Amino acid sequence: VIALAAVIAVTAGAVGLGTWGVRLARTTSDVFVASRAISPWWNAAAISGEYLSAASFLGIAGLQMKLGAGALWLPLGFTAGYMTLLLFVAAPLRRFGSYTIPDFAEARLSSPRLRVLGAAIVLIICGFYLVPQLKGAGITLGVITGAPYWVGVVVVAMVVALIVALGGMRGITYVQAYQYWVKTFAICVPACVLLIHLGGLPSRAALFGEELPRAGASGLTVELEKPTRVEFPARVTYAVDGARFVAEAGERRTLPAGELALPPRAVVPVADGTKALRGSDWSAPVSGDTTTTPVYVYSLLLATVLGTMGLPHILVRFYTNRDGPAARRTTVRVLGLLGLFYLFPAVYGLLGRVLVPELYVTGATDEVVLRLPEAAWPGLGGEILAAVVAAGAFAAFMSTASGLLVSLAGTMSYDLWGRIRAPAAGERGVGTRTWRFRVCALATMLVPAALALGARGLDISLLVGWAFALAASTFCPLFLLGIWWTGLTARGAAAGMITGAVTATAGIFAGLITDAPATTTGDALLAQPAAVSVPLAFLTMWLVSVCDPHRPRDVAAHMLALHGPEQLGLAVAQPPLGTSVSRTSKDQTSDAVPTGPD
Amino acid sequence: LSERRRVRVRPPREELADGSALGAVYLRRLIRAQLSLSLLTLVTFGALLGGLPLMLLLLPGVADVDVLGVPLSLLLVGVPMFPFLVALGWLYQHRADALDASFGELAHPPAPEDPP
Repeated sequence: VIALAAVIAVTAGAVGLGTWGVRLARTTSDVFVASRAISPWWNAAAISGEYLSAASFLGIAGLQMKLGAGALWLPLGFTAGYMTLLLFVAAPLRRFGSYTIPDFAEARLSSPRLRVLGAAIVLIICGFYLVPQLKGAGITLGVITGAPYWVGVVVVAMVVALIVALGGMRGITYVQAYQYWVKTFAICVPACVLLIHLGGLPSRAALFGEELPRAGASGLTVELEKPTRVEFPARVTYAVDGARFVAEAGERRTLPAGELALPPRAVVPVADGTKALRGSDWSAPVSGDTTTTPVYVYSLLLATVLGTMGLPHILVRFYTNRDGPAARRTTVRVLGLLGLFYLFPAVYGLLGRVLVPELYVTGATDEVVLRLPEAAWPGLGGEILAAVVAAGAFAAFMSTASGLLVSLAGTMSYDLWGRIRAPAAGERGVGTRTWRFRVCALATMLVPAALALGARGLDISLLVGWAFALAASTFCPLFLLGIWWTGLTARGAAAGMITGAVTATAGIFAGLITDAPATTTGDALLAQPAAVSVPLAFLTMWLVSVCDPHRPRDVAAHMLALHGPEQLGLAVAQPPLGTSVSRTSKDQTSDAVPTGPD
Repeated sequence: LSERRRVRVRPPREELADGSALGAVYLRRLIRAQLSLSLLTLVTFGALLGGLPLMLLLLPGVADVDVLGVPLSLLLVGVPMFPFLVALGWLYQHRADALDASFGELAHPPAPEDPP
């Protein structure tokens, strides 16, 4: 009950702030909006707020519990992605003035067809990214209210779609900045309080020694909702609904639905897809013989470090920076804010291994952040902390999901619908566009929601990892070559993006079908295809461009617009867009395609 | 008079704005300077981030060192890279700003007196 109240309070706060922010922007002078008087700190908090999704809040700790310390490369990669963004993309893209990826593709390479391809890839990436957010919603609502998984998915999908369609809680900088601080508070405070309450990390043998995950000193009871296939790492006597059984070490059995009881200190069985690891293996960030092989780690780092720059909902946020240097300043602050947040998920993974071993049995390790407080501290203290954590998780998937849906609906309604059905859509009234945007917001939510219903067994962090792999193999080469190389052509860009997208998707689905734990190099590359698909995309883009005789127009002018410092005074006239307009009415952003100084 | 016009050295800003051949040279130099700064930073950051997994793999002894009850290998992944990224980013931001400013000065010399 406390948890539900906290969730409602935080969400209401965000919606309230959104409405209040809109009113403020409307009533105070237009100068306030038009001058982009938003400081890098606010912007950085807003970007971090939009970025920290269910994958960061729930997924990292969950994957860490399942795979071991190898999951800790994820937060590192998620943060380091902003480093490459800072070095190669932030300032030039701000100077260029187009902040949706299809805009950039069309303007830089003067190819309207490339816009459509870019838009299609935006849809795939945002869709991939939305699924784990909705999964987070399903399990969070399940944990705090006991509702079945699908209820949470459907309810949150509908709420987010409605909020976005009605224009509430739009991507106003202040709302997202508020969400960042909610999330950081919600992950940091419970972690610290629990560590103090427990007096440090419990049971070092289980964490770092030779022990497998074990039941607590008073045994363990697990409520199994459905028959579950498990593997017993050691000989154990167990009871299901009172009937006693003995399982030998290494035996695989299907446990029927019901109440599973394990004696004190018994080694817990692990669900299919999980490998029971000894503490020393579990706490090794890389190792040759577990699931976190060096190939997997490097492929994952590559995907996250290069994928961040290709996330549509993040890039559009950089638009509220005043100029190129301000974009750089903002990005450096993002590095700091994310670093602060990412210090804490590991605490939940560590404590969870000892204190909530039942998640190994059910396989639902993604719930560890939500379940830990009450397991570690039974009573009111734990209940309050659980409420804080639930509110943070809610903020995480609500903010990211609404940002993604805005990108999805904007791309759908402007880039695709407008182009395919009526080429002169840009001439139509704002009314039609708003209406289209709303329809798209409601419609585009359907596919991710359906996928999320089927994705219950997949780890949130893995799903998000795929979105990153896809972004790294398509938009990353487009940006890096488009910004820094004059020789890129429209055909080269198209060929490279298609190659990258196809290889990455094929790898992901092949990995899903074979469903093997990624212990060999081949399996690791299927699970995380970036190490193959990214170089392949770069190579194709370069090769096709070199052979292509059709050079895009005005390359020199575009290069000047991308790289010319503001001090020159040559910069393209900045479109008079404010903070609140830049997100929801993406079509307006798209109209302001810079042409460079003529 | 037209003879003098032609030989007059025009400020780089105008060359850039016209997209002349000389302007293209200025632009290429600017982009190259920006790119080498970015690449230098990338190499530094890539060496550290890319070297960390390799180091942990080749030196398994790191896991046996305990700091505050946690293996050093775990701490190395979880903590020190974050402040390092901020510091490196901050350094880059200052160098990049300085680069832009110096190019701005080059391109914006004090307005030359046109001969009457």
